[in-house]
Amino acid sequence: MSVIDGPGAVAESLAGGGTPHGIGSSLPSADAPAKTQGTYPYAADLWAEGLLWAAVLRSPYPHARIVRIDTAEAAAMPGVRAVVTHEDVPGDAMHGRRVADRPVFAKDMVRHHGEPIAAVAADHPDTARLAAAAILVEYEVLEPVTDPEKAFAAEPLHPDGNLIRHIPLRFGDPDAVGEVIVEGLYRVGRQDPAPIGAEAGLAVPRPDGGVELYVASTDPHADRDIAAACFGLEADHVKVVVTGVPGALGDREDSGIQLPLGLLALRTGCPVKFVATREESFLGHAHRHPTLLRYRHHADAEGRLVKVEAQILLDAGAYADASSDALAAAVAFAAGPYVVPHVFVEGWAVRTNNPPSGHVRGEGALQVCTAYEGQMDKLAAKLGLEPAEIRMRNVLATGDLLPTGQTVTCPAPVGELLKAVRDADLPPLPDGDDESQWLLPGGTSGAGEPGAVRRGVGYALGMVHVLGAEGTDEVSTATVRVHDGRATVICAAVETGQGFTTLARQIVQEVLGVEDVRVLPSDTDQPPAGPAARGRHTWVSGGAVERAAKMVRTQLLQPLAAKFGMSVELLTIADGKITSYDGVLSTTVAETLDGKELWATAQCRPHPTDRLDDTGQGDAFVGLTFCAIRAVVDVDIELGAVRVVELAVAQDVGRVLNPRQLAARIEAGVTQGVGLALMEDLRAPRGVVKRPSLTGYALPTALDAPDVRIVKLVEERDVVAPFGAKAVSAVPVVTAPAAVASAVRAATGRPVSRLPIRPQAAIVKPQT
Amino acid sequence: MSTYAQQTAENVTLPTSLDEAVAALAAMPSAVPVAGGTDLMVSVNAGLLRPAALVGLGRIAEIRGWQYADGAALLGAGLTHARMGRPDFAALIPALAAAARSAGPPQIRNAGTLGGNIVSAAPTGDALPVLAALEASVILAGPEADREIPVSHLLTGMDPLRPGELLAFVRIPLLHAPQTFLKATGRTGPGRAVASVALVVDPARRQVRCAVGAVAQVPLRPLEAEQWVAGLIDWDGERTLAPEACTAFGEYVAAACIPDQPGVELPPAAVQLRRTVAALSRRALGRALA
Repeated sequence: MSVIDGPGAVAESLAGGGTPHGIGSSLPSADAPAKTQGTYPYAADLWAEGLLWAAVLRSPYPHARIVRIDTAEAAAMPGVRAVVTHEDVPGDAMHGRRVADRPVFAKDMVRHHGEPIAAVAADHPDTARLAAAAILVEYEVLEPVTDPEKAFAAEPLHPDGNLIRHIPLRFGDPDAVGEVIVEGLYRVGRQDPAPIGAEAGLAVPRPDGGVELYVASTDPHADRDIAAACFGLEADHVKVVVTGVPGALGDREDSGIQLPLGLLALRTGCPVKFVATREESFLGHAHRHPTLLRYRHHADAEGRLVKVEAQILLDAGAYADASSDALAAAVAFAAGPYVVPHVFVEGWAVRTNNPPSGHVRGEGALQVCTAYEGQMDKLAAKLGLEPAEIRMRNVLATGDLLPTGQTVTCPAPVGELLKAVRDADLPPLPDGDDESQWLLPGGTSGAGEPGAVRRGVGYALGMVHVLGAEGTDEVSTATVRVHDGRATVICAAVETGQGFTTLARQIVQEVLGVEDVRVLPSDTDQPPAGPAARGRHTWVSGGAVERAAKMVRTQLLQPLAAKFGMSVELLTIADGKITSYDGVLSTTVAETLDGKELWATAQCRPHPTDRLDDTGQGDAFVGLTFCAIRAVVDVDIELGAVRVVELAVAQDVGRVLNPRQLAARIEAGVTQGVGLALMEDLRAPRGVVKRPSLTGYALPTALDAPDVRIVKLVEERDVVAPFGAKAVSAVPVVTAPAAVASAVRAATGRPVSRLPIRPQAAIVKPQT
Repeated sequence: MSTYAQQTAENVTLPTSLDEAVAALAAMPSAVPVAGGTDLMVSVNAGLLRPAALVGLGRIAEIRGWQYADGAALLGAGLTHARMGRPDFAALIPALAAAARSAGPPQIRNAGTLGGNIVSAAPTGDALPVLAALEASVILAGPEADREIPVSHLLTGMDPLRPGELLAFVRIPLLHAPQTFLKATGRTGPGRAVASVALVVDPARRQVRCAVGAVAQVPLRPLEAEQWVAGLIDWDGERTLAPEACTAFGEYVAAACIPDQPGVELPPAAVQLRRTVAALSRRALGRALA
């Protein structure tokens, strides 16, 4: 629950008369009624006449050589229409988002548990599954490389070698030494994005030899290009149509599903549908990088940071995917939102036979936040300072240098954020006479004993970049059309639940004064808008919508302005009415349109960035956002059970575009962070995923989720961003786990250097 | 040839009485009885289990309630966790109510049944340690005759369900004395038990009975620890214990349930589990004798 929507906000929206609209209002999502009523169409709900069902055969081993694949028995089963393997890929056999290193189907090697080997289309899902199981694969099982530290010396798992990227960051004087030195070793586990809807899709062959893929893609154009290359088709013969997205926390869709679907549809000439089981979903999609971090912090006697030395090792799994980007973020933000004159970081991303890692909200930045905040707590303890105080003495501000040599030009109100959470009131202790009604760690079953519960308060400061880094061409295109007093937005930016379509409607309402704004569903016939990730769509797609809307506005008003001999700037549009500054002119949008349609298309492309050079230096980021969180936890020090009581959040948002949506994004992010801090870890001993189900992989429920209190939203506009707004979703995820760990440290006095926090790490052993 | 019709063929019977259900099972021995389906249907949906036929037990009214019989409660196997969690039931068998309330999120508790918990016999089944501590017995309805056996015989496989038999009722002695159920999970929200402890005080027999769930395939009864602690209690007096006795009891129970391996040091996970069981047992005894 959140406290941002105070009675004031409600009164304001009521006083405004009718429904909220425009920038700064809490316009509700247009999809909300359909989603709550269960009529919103997700990919798993799609149907086509005469469709076939697909099943994918996946490797049971993390590392094996494929000696032989025999599909004859499966292909001969009644009801089976096609079986495809690596031999049936007409185009590129390898693909990948950044590096083409991942086979569509494993050919002679399998490199992770769950890697696709073959796919079947049959007339019933169970027949397809049975046929997939009947495919004979002869393996020569190999020793898996599962310890990333051993990947350097291990046999190469891939022709490209095991080292995906190494960034040595050198900033300042390597010989600088502080008066106080603390060291720490930190580990972060494998978080799964665990979207609420598992992967699903429908592929429909086209009469012209092309194919349409109906999938919950978050980056339709990139998915289309990969698919077309693998199918050996021109890009215009493959169309990706984005269906309802049932939750996305990264690159949602697993190409191991889209590509077999398309191949099977092309092969059979029939529509083919696939719905992943939860187990397949856990095996197939990308996870957060498990990370090992070794840190040494130097500070002077007053607690000012002198030098930070770090070694960061990301476990990328078998394929490169987005690991290079994650590593860049980890290395660049290794010291956190603090001023440090000397920083030396070695960062590596290596291949292993563990489950694949990739883009999951806040990748790289999250893992280092856990480590540098652990170090700040250690320094505070060593110097006898309050944890909030030592952070306050080192906070970054606008104009300071990042360890990459980039100057922070955007607002960086880190000190203000920290002060806001530090000074906020603490949540009350449980009260009431009946102790059995207190919600204690361990839950409602009553195992908690008030006498064994300690409360702790901890702090964390987090930072993350917005938009793709290191020279990524971040561009989006949008079209706005006005007709009959209504407006339509056409943009391939995918609504993943993050609220882009709501934002697009608000922008058009604001610029054109038209109430009724619709956003069309996305597909690849529209111009590219790029992936729904790193807060891109708030910035680039929102910016493109704004520009297109302004162009339409000019087209609409120019003839009027010319007629009345005044400039366009003197006319305003509100509630569908056009008025001049002096009130002489007053007409309606519909009247001015006179049955005409106005169209405009615009692009938004922020300033370019550099790749980090071979000493980790460069202006790699377009924008940065910051967050401060104060966590309050209760720990049962005998059982090691932790309950997060409250998280107080202060965030740098640039400008609030939709207060309710913003609060929801922060709550969602914080909850994901709490999940990582306390329970989410997809275990894969020796490379084999254990218990890939929602019973085995615990996600926070309503009882686990803390009260989220948004104590301050700093609205200092980022002048280069459209509306001055910053993306808000990622930075709470990045910061929350470190805050929880810090609070558990305060409650127990234990070091807490590993996430998720296991019960044994939160137990205070009795003094004997 | 299409396999569609073949794959979708389902055979579901929905009897409205126990006799009908037993007859349905006898008529089709390969049929699987299903009550709440919270375990079974997950496996079916995941394609792990493909029952030839199902006998749905949800319409048998006689096993969805409870009655009193000779100082005991006769609970229908179809009682849901949600029903057992309500205050009227909690007044009757508090430990079972506490276990039922912690057995999962509301959706699971609304569907899952007592009988299902026993028959699926998962090590983490929350009702099982309570039934073991209460020394409950189960009444099995069969094609020839009904029979009654201790729940532990069923759980350990000493006396398993015979073909065509259905779990109909659970007989639980009413003790009119404190009883507790405590469960440790890794989280605040509902989750599977890491360890659970059920502890009941039986003044009539001057016993304390304790069962530890989730640490082994079946609930474990630390009999020596039970006898030791029962000997410390002044049954005719205050029935209280010193905190040191509760602590010692916890250690005793934990060491009995997670025994030392001769010549081998306990792995850290086992040490942690032992600590958890000790804390739960100590708390359970402390609360029962408070």
